[in-house]
Amino acid sequence: MAAKVSKLEEQFKLDAPREKQKEGTSSTIFRGVAIYVNGLTDPSADELRRLMMLHGGQFHVYYSRSKTTHIIATNLPHSKVKELRGEKVVRPDWITDSIKAGHLLSYLQYQLYAKQKHWLVMFISKVRYLNVSFVLDCNSCHRNGLDQTAGLRLNGIQEEESEDETLHPAPVFSSGALVERTLTNGHSHPPNGALKPLDLTRGQTPMENGPHQPPVLLAGDKCAGESAHLLRSGNHLSVTPVPTARPSSRDPEHPGLLARGAGRVWLNGAQRDTAQGAASPPCPPVDRRPADADIISEFYSRSRLHHISTWKSEFSEYVSSLQHRRHKAGGVDFPGRERLRRQRAARIAGSSAPSGPPIRQPCILHVDMDCFFVSVGIRHRPDLNGKPVAVTSNRGQGRVSQRQGANCQLEMQYYQRKLDPKRKEVTPSPESPDGANPQSEQDLAALSMAEVASCSYEARQAGVRNGMFFGQAKQLCPGLQAVPYDFQAYKEVAMAMYQTLASYTHHIEALSCDEALVDATRLLKELGVSPEELAGAIRADVKERTGCSASVGMGSNILLARMATRKAKPDGQYYLKSEEVDDFIRDQAVGSLPGVGRTMSCKLASLGVQTCGDLQQISMSRLQKEFGPRTGQTLFRFCRGLDDRPVRSEKERKSVSAGMNYGIRFTQVAEAESFLTKLSQEVQRRLQAAGLKGRRITLKLMMRKPGAPVEPAKYGGHGICDTFARTVSLDQPTDSAQHIATEVIKLFHAMKLNVMDMRGVGLQVQQLTPSLVGPAGTAGGTGAPRRSIRDMLAPGEAVTSDRDRDIASVRLFPPPSSAEPVPGTSKGGPAPRHNGGLHTPRHLRTHLDLSIEVPSPSQVDRSVLEALPPELREQVEHSWRRREELAVSRGPLQSAPSQPLASPPGTLVLHVPEQQGQGGPAGIVLALPDFSQVDPEVFAALPLELQEELRSAYRHRNGTHPQGTVVEAKNPLLQLKQVAAAGRTKRRYKRKNASPAKGVPSPLKSRLHGNSPAKSSPAKSSPAKRLPYALKQEHAGGEMKLENGPSTSSLKPDAQEKPVKLTSRPGPTLAGACEFTDIRTLLKEWVTSIPEPMEDDILQVVKYCTELVEDRDLEKLYLVIKYMKRLMQQSVESVWSMAFDFILDNVQVVVQQTYGSTLKIT
Amino acid sequence: MTTLTRQDLNFGQVVADILCEFLEVAIHLILYVREVYPSGIFQKRKKYNVPVQMSCHPELNRYIQDTLHCVKPLIEKNDVEKVVVVIMDKDHHPVERFVFEISQPPLLSIRFVSMILNFYSDTLLSHVEQLLRAVILKISVCDAVLDNNPPGCTFTVLVHTREAATRNMEKIQVIKDFPWIVADEQEVHMREPRLIPLKTMTSDIVKMQLYVEERAQKAS
Repeated sequence: MAAKVSKLEEQFKLDAPREKQKEGTSSTIFRGVAIYVNGLTDPSADELRRLMMLHGGQFHVYYSRSKTTHIIATNLPHSKVKELRGEKVVRPDWITDSIKAGHLLSYLQYQLYAKQKHWLVMFISKVRYLNVSFVLDCNSCHRNGLDQTAGLRLNGIQEEESEDETLHPAPVFSSGALVERTLTNGHSHPPNGALKPLDLTRGQTPMENGPHQPPVLLAGDKCAGESAHLLRSGNHLSVTPVPTARPSSRDPEHPGLLARGAGRVWLNGAQRDTAQGAASPPCPPVDRRPADADIISEFYSRSRLHHISTWKSEFSEYVSSLQHRRHKAGGVDFPGRERLRRQRAARIAGSSAPSGPPIRQPCILHVDMDCFFVSVGIRHRPDLNGKPVAVTSNRGQGRVSQRQGANCQLEMQYYQRKLDPKRKEVTPSPESPDGANPQSEQDLAALSMAEVASCSYEARQAGVRNGMFFGQAKQLCPGLQAVPYDFQAYKEVAMAMYQTLASYTHHIEALSCDEALVDATRLLKELGVSPEELAGAIRADVKERTGCSASVGMGSNILLARMATRKAKPDGQYYLKSEEVDDFIRDQAVGSLPGVGRTMSCKLASLGVQTCGDLQQISMSRLQKEFGPRTGQTLFRFCRGLDDRPVRSEKERKSVSAGMNYGIRFTQVAEAESFLTKLSQEVQRRLQAAGLKGRRITLKLMMRKPGAPVEPAKYGGHGICDTFARTVSLDQPTDSAQHIATEVIKLFHAMKLNVMDMRGVGLQVQQLTPSLVGPAGTAGGTGAPRRSIRDMLAPGEAVTSDRDRDIASVRLFPPPSSAEPVPGTSKGGPAPRHNGGLHTPRHLRTHLDLSIEVPSPSQVDRSVLEALPPELREQVEHSWRRREELAVSRGPLQSAPSQPLASPPGTLVLHVPEQQGQGGPAGIVLALPDFSQVDPEVFAALPLELQEELRSAYRHRNGTHPQGTVVEAKNPLLQLKQVAAAGRTKRRYKRKNASPAKGVPSPLKSRLHGNSPAKSSPAKSSPAKRLPYALKQEHAGGEMKLENGPSTSSLKPDAQEKPVKLTSRPGPTLAGACEFTDIRTLLKEWVTSIPEPMEDDILQVVKYCTELVEDRDLEKLYLVIKYMKRLMQQSVESVWSMAFDFILDNVQVVVQQTYGSTLKIT
Repeated sequence: MTTLTRQDLNFGQVVADILCEFLEVAIHLILYVREVYPSGIFQKRKKYNVPVQMSCHPELNRYIQDTLHCVKPLIEKNDVEKVVVVIMDKDHHPVERFVFEISQPPLLSIRFVSMILNFYSDTLLSHVEQLLRAVILKISVCDAVLDNNPPGCTFTVLVHTREAATRNMEKIQVIKDFPWIVADEQEVHMREPRLIPLKTMTSDIVKMQLYVEERAQKAS
């Protein structure tokens, strides 16, 4: 075949001159272009071949991925289009038009399927200069990360250079530099015609742009790279090389530059501003190589954004830990709450009139510190009070001298243009249409690029905004005082704020270090105070404790609370009453809605929408069309002041990532690789700190946008970039840096990008599962903070990307191999969202007790067991003993159930097969999973005997339960757990019930005691005893699911463990009850036996109902609700009626959310 | 493994067949129970071992059949989220919606189920039939929980597909001149809907729940 191809090429070459002679005209338009014609075209393939001959191109009869540069086609089937993704597929007109035009046109306009999304055609700038014409191909950025040859990316700039250089020998390049240059050019493919050779006879105008120094290159300096800039000067387009060198620090001309011996990573033209550098000594030396070992940690230790984001998770954790503590202790004192209560009591005693009606509707408080960084920063500096103050890293005059190579205007233009919605195509174009005064731009460029993290209200009045560059801010407000960061103080103050809030309630959602949401509905009800009073008290407290002022917005949902805060600021409070909502929101600008940023406001503005009132005029379908179904709906609701997000103190973690887009400059692939490895280590640290493993790894790269200046305006910044992302899914979740690094480096190579253009690197790990071994075990060695298993269990950490059904890993359960010492532990991690009091055990021992799922003795390799630490071993053995006892005690009960109740679905009585006298294969298979749960592939991979065994076991089961197979198969995983769990549940709940909260144990909980072998619990009288044992067992398992204590991840409804999810038919349960009759009994007991419902129990019921809705079991929900309505409204206590209302309200909200309508309750 | 894939196909079809058969019965019954058409055009039949009503108006039957014929390929692909029978008043505003929310177990388990279908297909099918019968019975008594409809109602069938399904709809248009059209907002949107769950059935091959959404004020 190769011979044939070369023969054809030969033939083509021979034919070419002949053809040229015949035609008389010829050119070299298509030099470097090799086409392959696919399918029928007009002009025909033959004609095209002839044209290519005439105009210096190549024609391939056989397509070669490496040699063919363009594919010519007029029509391609979809499959081929997919196959040729990333190739240049062009219409034949390109060739004819190019010939007509006399030069090679950009193929972009001629792309066959340019309209497809992943072919992001950017912008083509055609520049003609004298008789020189070249096409600057500014495209080459496929956002989808399509393969892109480096040559295209370089888009000819380097080509120019080489031409320039030869004609322009002024700078003396060292031999090293030349080598370097050749290397760089080696990357570029034949210029594929995008660039015509420049006519360099025209005058070379050296760039006059800022303090541009003559290129100095030291012989022997190995890292002399050069870059060309297309800079605009007046109307001229001139091209000049701007060589940037790295002279040694002894070079008097560049005092700011650091020596870099054989440094290959460097900041192009990076010239430290000495003034700034001197003024802020703690500023890290950024010319540090990114490859340096500790640059990542250094970067993170200095990054404001990093601190802020870590704090957020820290405070979230703090809030959830508070809640656990409360659950554990049963009741916590809320000093703030008490104080408020007392005050109110005193006042009522004085005036004997209740102030304001009690609020029944939900009330959310949004507490936000007023310009947090600033007020903390000037806490101890009263002299700055009332003055315009900004927190920033720059402390000088806000000016730095222009760095060489940076092109600030270009970037500014780019961003401006990007914001301009009318202009579709966005690209850094060297030629700017407007002829602005270069002098003023110069000034702008010379301003400090340090960002203003926060500024006081005085400064805001002068037009300074957060996130503005300090230099610019200083221009707006010359009296602006700069205050440095003080991370420690921020943390202290933030902590004090959270503590203050926690002294009122624990229904707090940490939004960031300086703002939080508080669900005060119940608090207000309990205290009988108005929201304003509460807000006033909170604000006074915060002020007192922190010395900083906070603003509080109140509304019936999160959205309204946040918007109210805006009105409340500064240092005020505002309660948005529900009757005022409509008027209020109508006048709000759309930009003030959460989630509506600049891009979306622009888009909305183009729809003629400025305010929420305008937005209300737009139909949901229209919005969904414009913004996608989810965002559309959200907008639709938000602009009407509707928001059903609950205040959540615990949030699931969806991904763990680490990224850096500052100071990234590589010259060699090896450096990039080592950096990726370092970053992987950082990710590993974070994963381990969170006790997670992930399966999906995403590599995100920011690459300098072709045509953008090599050195961005912000020192060390990333400038104008294209972002590329690649993702890989692993078979096994991992947290190992090595593993991640290998995958990422593979991805990196697959992206085929030019390392020199890399400006930012990010790694993200998704699809998280709790790590198998407690993080304490693995984390120690890597220097990550050691964490107890409790942390692993801590909610919010254990995360699962729910509703993700496309993963097809199904595990046979029990796992056929016993290679893992304690297979069960792997499932112990997942952390429960509503974990009652289970999470607060005092010592590790208890934790282990909760989290270990002990397999049966026969499954455990003795040697492995012996290798375990003594205490662990003891525990495992202990649990076996208990299990045996249980099995013995259960025997008689099971054989003689006291009531002829049908066994409820899910109670497969297979768990102790010996006792049932059903011999056969069931003896081995402890618990058969549902058929549907078994992956056929796994099944097929099993040894034949095993397959046979399983098959017969299934058959056997079918035989035994001919009627109920379908239903019974529902709950296959429960039995194993029950065995192990029965003993545990007891202990846990004893603790819970022992709490002094209420004297009477609620049936919802006492129910659980029924299954404890030792009936010492206070629930002795529980009617649950009457139930047959098997049923109670079921409850034990179910309860665990509900409470999610030690449960295996498999039982969690939204667990990641896919196999179970797939068949997670063990529907929602209420205190273990799943069947409607049981639920009914349970509810009846609850309502009749105790005078006043406990908050927790109500929440349980609400949660159960919510789960029913999610499980799409409206019928049962309906029945449950109607039953409750009957029960509770009959009850003499009006509290019950209120409880029902509360439950119903909540359920209606969920139903409304899911189905768009509310239940009709008659 | 090749046999597996073949069975896959069969399996999807089996589910679709079962569901479409059921939907046909259900639609007829709904039309009868909600008095959309005069009771004179209905005949008593037996299905799932219970008496049901079926229209004997040829054009109506044709319409229902055609509709379901078009729904079937979607169900086979598990593209259908809901099949909705909308009863509209004279102004074409919906007064009642009978929503059949269908969710099939994910492909993976389907595959496996199909593989072991031979083991217990009879059990499975009879179980499904029991469940469907229960749903039918619920429909026949649903007038007890619903308010009366205003006179002069019409009906239409909406299909809510999962995201990508509509894109392929044109291609797989089964019956010529009977295309799917995107529903009017007016037909979909209901003022103050109230939801009345009727029945939920859960089997290994399909999970379906039927509920009615009713307009609060029917008369207007």
